[in-house]
Amino acid sequence: MKIAAWICLLLPLASALAITIAGTRIPRRAAAYVSTLTTMGAFVAAVVAFFDMWSKAPHARAAATTSWTWLSAGQYHFGLTLLVDQLSIVMMLIVAGVGSLIIAYAVGYMDGEDEERRFFAYMSLFVFSMLLLVEGGNLLLLLAGWGMVGLSSYLLIGYYQERASAIAAAKKAFVMNAFGDATMALALFLLIKVTGRLDYAGVFAHSPHGGTTANLIALGLLGGALAKSAQLPLHTWLPDAMEGPTPVSALIHAATMVTAGVYLIVRTHVLFENAYIVQDLAAGLGAATLVMAGLIALVQTDIKRVIAYSTMSQIGYMFVGAGLGAYPNAMFHLMTHAFFKALLFLAAGIAIHAVTGEQDIRKLAGVGKLMPFTKIVFLIGSLALVGIFPFAGFFSKDSIIAAALAHGTYGAIIWVACIVGAFLTGVYAFRLYFIVFTGEPSAFAREHFHAHHDKEGPLSMLWTVGTLAVLALVGGFLQFAPVWHPLTDWLAPVAAPITDPSNTQEWITSGFALAVGLAGIGVAYVLYVARTVPVPKALPLFEKKFYWDELYDVLWYRTADAFSRMLGTVIEVPLVAGAISAMAGLAGASSRELSVAQSGLVRTYALFLAGGLAILTLVFLAAR
Amino acid sequence: MHGPDIQWYVILSAILFTTGALGVMLRRNPLIILLSVEIMLNSANLLLIAFSRLHGREDGQVFAISVMAVAASEVVVGLGLIVAMGRRNVELDVDKLRTLRG
Repeated sequence: MKIAAWICLLLPLASALAITIAGTRIPRRAAAYVSTLTTMGAFVAAVVAFFDMWSKAPHARAAATTSWTWLSAGQYHFGLTLLVDQLSIVMMLIVAGVGSLIIAYAVGYMDGEDEERRFFAYMSLFVFSMLLLVEGGNLLLLLAGWGMVGLSSYLLIGYYQERASAIAAAKKAFVMNAFGDATMALALFLLIKVTGRLDYAGVFAHSPHGGTTANLIALGLLGGALAKSAQLPLHTWLPDAMEGPTPVSALIHAATMVTAGVYLIVRTHVLFENAYIVQDLAAGLGAATLVMAGLIALVQTDIKRVIAYSTMSQIGYMFVGAGLGAYPNAMFHLMTHAFFKALLFLAAGIAIHAVTGEQDIRKLAGVGKLMPFTKIVFLIGSLALVGIFPFAGFFSKDSIIAAALAHGTYGAIIWVACIVGAFLTGVYAFRLYFIVFTGEPSAFAREHFHAHHDKEGPLSMLWTVGTLAVLALVGGFLQFAPVWHPLTDWLAPVAAPITDPSNTQEWITSGFALAVGLAGIGVAYVLYVARTVPVPKALPLFEKKFYWDELYDVLWYRTADAFSRMLGTVIEVPLVAGAISAMAGLAGASSRELSVAQSGLVRTYALFLAGGLAILTLVFLAAR
Repeated sequence: MHGPDIQWYVILSAILFTTGALGVMLRRNPLIILLSVEIMLNSANLLLIAFSRLHGREDGQVFAISVMAVAASEVVVGLGLIVAMGRRNVELDVDKLRTLRG
């Protein structure tokens, strides 16, 4: 199992290095296949590790393996330790499994790009970083993986480097994530100060219960989780990150990296339970994000941005689950979300690919009629997203909402927000579906649509999407809390839930969520298919995304800009520049005066030399 | 101890040095200046050897030999310059060569 874990981690790294070193010596297609096969190899290794773990007793399943001491500083030593336990194996399977499907999809999607090798090297680097994040056996390795997924996300958002908007989006994502990394690093410093160690078991055993220190630690970790998972108030980078190629949006900004924040909270749930205020804050922010993102998604016109806001909203649900202590439910939703959100992105990618890269839903309108397969898989993804029985989202999302009901008054408020969110999900998901995939094709779609060898796309794009559609269809049956709950049992030794909704609460919530989801679909149908009611005019508040970008612009950019300008006029010009030109002027004037002494007559120089020597001699004689 | 006392050597050396220094400062022909420099160097050599003998140690003599070696190389360079000046028909007068004035 340990060897399998190492292979799983190192195969993608080997692929990234091999593609980078081989450079132009290998054809572009070879890089795509190397990346796909190594990620699939990593998935096979993860599966082997999983079955090995399964064959053991529940409390003997976790295994740590240290290769060497990675970092020593004074009395602190941190090993390059891999920890494979019930939680990390779930993440490994999701990352390597969904990752290999998406990279296989990219083989078709990126065909013909000029810099395919760079793309696949970055993708492999990302898979390695993400696996390091989930397999790392101490918080330091987790932070290293955390930073590296941020780096690969930055590189891939800015993949189309000739597009200024892509570069700006990449920088935005990197800066906001760097903020989260910094708060996380501060939390780790505090942990080292308090407990003197960073391995999970040691930290959990020695960290303080309650009090300011515990709150600060949890707050720092929460800051990292919020930035990485694009939750309020550090969420504005995710919609812009859609500038990257669609497989990147599917892998990094939907299925895996953005859910790392949820993984972090579940992984360090002991630290959050020691600071229950911060944990409640996580749930509250998740609830606020899921409603806000749902409202914004109602009016967006870029197909990928709508899906991006729905990702933010779904991660909001996961934060609610993790924040309320329903860890298995959050992990379950993380898994099913990885399936159906990757499916939605990849299906949208097929449509975008077939219509020469167009992403505006008004121009894409009706393209579904030309591509029946894509239409069906997108419908499956949308139903799973809205949470309609028997699709995956029904099981996972409802179990999180039910957990809110079992959490007192605070939980009841969050429960209402979640139900509102479920309604919004139905409206925006089916607004997208109805506009793009039903009705008559628009003139633009008809003109620009071109089939790929009489198919809707390359084979590699179709079979991967088909696989994800099957997963989105059946993945939810893994767990249905009132009846069977293997995932909760599996995760119990690592992250036992502290909120356990009763069966009645589960049934009530499922009924409500299903009803409002269907109601949302009905509203979307009335507005965009039947058209019996005119579509309301979009509120500027939603179109402007609640003015967060403008707020940050005023708060940080304009303030810093004004401050620097003030420093420029008050300090830079008179003091710094003034002092330098004064010194230069002084040196110039004095040397012009002194240059008179340079007569060019060697004899004069010799005379001065001898005269000076004579004076010195006299001085020394007199001083004696 | 045979021969004159040490002060005679010092006085002779001082006379030689002054002669050389005056030559450097007053004459304008580079050949003469070079000769004057040699006189100054040799006055120093005289002192080195005289004191070496006074103290009965050899290091002063060794040092004098190395001064001669340096003086020889310096003369090679200096004479080379003067020959080059002669070939280019430059007048042999140091006061005319003042292109380096400030």
